Amino acid sequence: MAILVIAEHDNASIKSGTLNTVTAAKKIGGDIHVLVAGANAAAAAAAAAKIDGVSKVLLADGANLAHPLAENVAPVVVEVSKAGGYSHVLAPATTTGKNVLPRVAALLDVAQISDIIAVEAADTFVRPIYAGNVLATVKSADAVKVITVRTTAFEAAGEGGNAAVENTAAGAEAGLSRFVGAELTKSDRPELTAAKVIVSGGRALGSAEQFSAVIEPLADKLGAAVGASRAAVDAGYAPNDYQVGQTGKVVAPQLYLAVGISGAIQHLAGMKDSKIIVAVNKDEEAPIFQVADYGIVGDLFSVVPELMSELSK
Amino acid sequence: MKVLVAVKRVVDYNVKVRVKADGSDVDIANVKMSMNPFDEIAVEEAVRLKEAGKAGEIVVVSMGPKQCEETLRTALAMGADRAVHVETDAVLEPLAVAKLLKAVAEEEQAQLIVLGKQAIDDDCNQTGQMLAALMNIGQGTFASKVDLADGSVNVTREIDGGLETVSLKLPAVVTTDLRLNEPRYVKLPNIMAAKKKPLAKKAPADFGVDITPRLTTLKVAEPAKRSAGIKVASAAELVAKLKNEAKVL
Amino acid sequence: MSYQVPLKEIRFVMNELADLPAVCTLPGYEDCNVELVDAITEEAAKFAEGVLAPINWAGDKGNKWENYTVTTAEGFKEAYQQFQESGWVGLRAPAEFGGQGLPALVAMATEEMWCASNLSFSLAPLLTLGAIEALNHHASEELKAVYLPKMCEGVWTGTMNLTEPQAGSDLAQIRSKAVPHPSGDGSYLVTGQKIFITWGEHDMAENIIHLVLARLPDAPAGVKGISLFVVPKYLVNADGSLGARNDARCVSIEHKLGIHGSPTAVMSFGDEGGAVGYLVGEANKGLGYMFTMMNHARLGVGVEGMAISDRAYQKAVEYARDRVQSRELGSSDPNGVAIIRHPDVRRMLMTMRSQIEAQRALSYYTATALDRAATHPNPEEKARNQALVNFLIPIVKGWNTEQANEITSLGVQVHGGMGFIEETGAAQYYRDARITAIYEGTTGIQALDLIGRKTFSENGATARAVLAEVQAVADKLADLGEAFAQTRRNLEAGIQAAGECVEFILAKFGNEPRLPAAGAVPFLKLMGILLGGWQMGRAALIAQAKLAEDGADAEFLSAKLVTARFYGEHLLPQIAGLAPAILQGAESVMALDEALF
Repeated sequence: MAILVIAEHDNASIKSGTLNTVTAAKKIGGDIHVLVAGANAAAAAAAAAKIDGVSKVLLADGANLAHPLAENVAPVVVEVSKAGGYSHVLAPATTTGKNVLPRVAALLDVAQISDIIAVEAADTFVRPIYAGNVLATVKSADAVKVITVRTTAFEAAGEGGNAAVENTAAGAEAGLSRFVGAELTKSDRPELTAAKVIVSGGRALGSAEQFSAVIEPLADKLGAAVGASRAAVDAGYAPNDYQVGQTGKVVAPQLYLAVGISGAIQHLAGMKDSKIIVAVNKDEEAPIFQVADYGIVGDLFSVVPELMSELSK
Repeated sequence: MKVLVAVKRVVDYNVKVRVKADGSDVDIANVKMSMNPFDEIAVEEAVRLKEAGKAGEIVVVSMGPKQCEETLRTALAMGADRAVHVETDAVLEPLAVAKLLKAVAEEEQAQLIVLGKQAIDDDCNQTGQMLAALMNIGQGTFASKVDLADGSVNVTREIDGGLETVSLKLPAVVTTDLRLNEPRYVKLPNIMAAKKKPLAKKAPADFGVDITPRLTTLKVAEPAKRSAGIKVASAAELVAKLKNEAKVL
Repeated sequence: MSYQVPLKEIRFVMNELADLPAVCTLPGYEDCNVELVDAITEEAAKFAEGVLAPINWAGDKGNKWENYTVTTAEGFKEAYQQFQESGWVGLRAPAEFGGQGLPALVAMATEEMWCASNLSFSLAPLLTLGAIEALNHHASEELKAVYLPKMCEGVWTGTMNLTEPQAGSDLAQIRSKAVPHPSGDGSYLVTGQKIFITWGEHDMAENIIHLVLARLPDAPAGVKGISLFVVPKYLVNADGSLGARNDARCVSIEHKLGIHGSPTAVMSFGDEGGAVGYLVGEANKGLGYMFTMMNHARLGVGVEGMAISDRAYQKAVEYARDRVQSRELGSSDPNGVAIIRHPDVRRMLMTMRSQIEAQRALSYYTATALDRAATHPNPEEKARNQALVNFLIPIVKGWNTEQANEITSLGVQVHGGMGFIEETGAAQYYRDARITAIYEGTTGIQALDLIGRKTFSENGATARAVLAEVQAVADKLADLGEAFAQTRRNLEAGIQAAGECVEFILAKFGNEPRLPAAGAVPFLKLMGILLGGWQMGRAALIAQAKLAEDGADAEFLSAKLVTARFYGEHLLPQIAGLAPAILQGAESVMALDEALF
């Protein structure tokens, strides 16, 4: 049994999602081969060869693969997969993987199993449905299992591999699509309701100046949006559109850091669906700690700088 | 230019689904059903293209049980011109839906096929890509902007880390992301008018497509509840926990 | 989670208790069917939840009056434009003027959603519909052609100008005047001051059509000398475009206890010589014309009360699920539990819920009777339903709104101290609900109407007929066995008590009207509780029968049975406390010398 992992890369290096996907492949068990489909991507292939557990790297190098256009990449994956007789084809469930892999599955006339978070057996996987409110365990009857992997559910594979790199055909330009351009993330902070990380400040900041001086650098460090409690907004420390809560914005980021927020019910109503909640507060009885996954009891003016320096490490 | 829009009837996004006591499936008997929100965006986009004079007829298609008619009527009230209902009580996986859609798209000679990037029930995010593969045409997935020109379409896609624009030859498949548009509220006179728009009935057998499922759901379960919070002693400990335990950094 | 339209419940009530399928067979409603109504309620629900509910809180901040103009609260103007463009204003407006001509029953479902999501906002289209109804029934074809299409489309809104500082419940005191226009063009010049004019001035529509009660120069005194005039904010040119600004100005807006989003105008007509107005129908018949639409308007306010109660209930449930306080009674687990686990909180929530369901059922049932009274092909059925409507409306209006005060108060109570804090939001519903028992005829006025015109004047015929129907349901409740035995006994005791009260009213109202009048409001409440029990009994019987069907929604139907039983066991017994007060307590009401107050 051999597993083909489709690498995500920028032609020069391997993106981290590939490492988590290799770990998922290890859980399935079998030889793990990595396909690097790109243009002038030898460096990426070399990096893939170093991933622990990878026994072979296939490099499909061609101008038609300069951008991971599904129309051009999918036929290459199909060819490689058929030629190698792979039992599994895996890609990280990133926007690239999600774009390409269903196309591969359809061409192979098999189902795709999307976004797996656990491997139960070589043909049985766990995947979230209904926005993660339910976990389904599904078993595939197809000869080839085409799978995208939720990268956060698997550890990243380490280095230490020394796989051979083999060239494989890059296929032809499909002539169906063309890359026009890309606009990659600006340094501006993300929008509050769409942010993955939010740093919110409360009345304990004491002034608008301290709010900016303490909360904003932390938010920038984390690529986070900035929020505020109603108390902080009412006190004029932060503008209205920062307010998180029942009467402000309702948010559910991956990580919510509540700094100097006691946790009035109205505030909790606006952020209680966040995946991970961290609270920093002087008052260890503050209600925010009842919903926080991690709490630090302490003065925010000393805790936040410590946090900044830890994050810089 | 004809636009085909595919819509799915799903459990309403406000409903918190529950798992059946025997863990065999989710219990969706008698819960509120609605049009998949991403598909609503797809209908809206098609209607906007039509209103801008860039698209001609809009055909909307849905697959599934009798009640999909309601979903199709909603799409008609939003502005689609006619509907095709491929009626079946069978479980349809994305691959089967893609095969059926291919048959409908070819029959209709649609130049642009628009559908949601994923359904909010199974969260598969596959059908559009599979359809494009089966039809051997281009795909613009996770669209946040659709620019239709003569013979081609430029699609701005939401990708990890930003936006990417691709140009696709027509016919092409576009799957919609949240920020493409904000679907309109349906107007009362249009609800009344939608009752009179044509709705054709088909069955999977009419297209000679094998819709046998490839996957079996062995069980469903609710994820483990959030574990009780803990206090950490230092910023260092916190960062370590966030990185290694919570994996959010 | 914000307001969620209880679509399942609304559909159950419409289809099962208010017989929507039968309404759809009435003349004029043939295009209507259950599937269409499902689609309408579905989309209306999206609009209410997505557009109107989110600005309800902003509405509470109120409107701004400056220089005779009113700027509405943030988001209202945009929401109204969307509402108007979506065609919702014309849902039950006449089809010949661009409305959809749908049944009152269907309209009630959507109106419940508008009222619950944003009571202040809902009053603008509701008043417009009242004006449309009055014009459609009584205005000349010329006036209709000028005003109705734009009003049915919602591009122009309508108002009712009745009240004056000295003329509230007693409209005989109206002093506003109208004189023939000196030009002799057939129009009139209206002068006078009107107060409490809901949506009398605002920035949401391009024109506002005021219906104004005023006296002509030669008019007899009292109610027989009042005429109805159309007074537009902007005069309308022959080609339908807007012309000169009329001499009708909003001189201030009231500062109120609630419904802050709805501007309540003080209107001054004719400060600069006279506002141009057009006589509606015949001279001196204005008050009668107003009564035409009063039934619908009063039923509408009853729905407002029920709807705002539901909003308060939903909010209370949400809080009770979230709020963790105190360990569970009788449990050894020291940890606190969500307060919904505590029996008294549960009692409050059930008290709210069961009354709202009973009120919804009775209101929708009345809407169906209204549809039948309007269009039933059989004259006897038509007349029977008209009498039923006349009898039920003061009950629906008075009972729903009196209870709205209690239910929204319970909503605050469930929140504990947080309920008293404005930001929580529960207090807004409590304040907003307060007006519903006052405007469109106070509860006292409704109760007097109920015992006088609706009971005594027709010699108790409809009252007895209704009680016979309640008895029929009580008999059938035997089928539900032991679980409903107490409910059945309570219902029968209620029928007995109500019958005695009816006989008391019939015996006394002619000669000693002050005696039944002293207990009129308790009688109205008694009838509300009893008829609510009647509808909950019907609901229970239907729910039990449907439970046996294939694919039945067991969760919903079982909940209906529980709620009906709670109503039977907790609300119906209140009748036993009201009847003696009505029958034996009248004297003490009036006994204290006026000087000693």
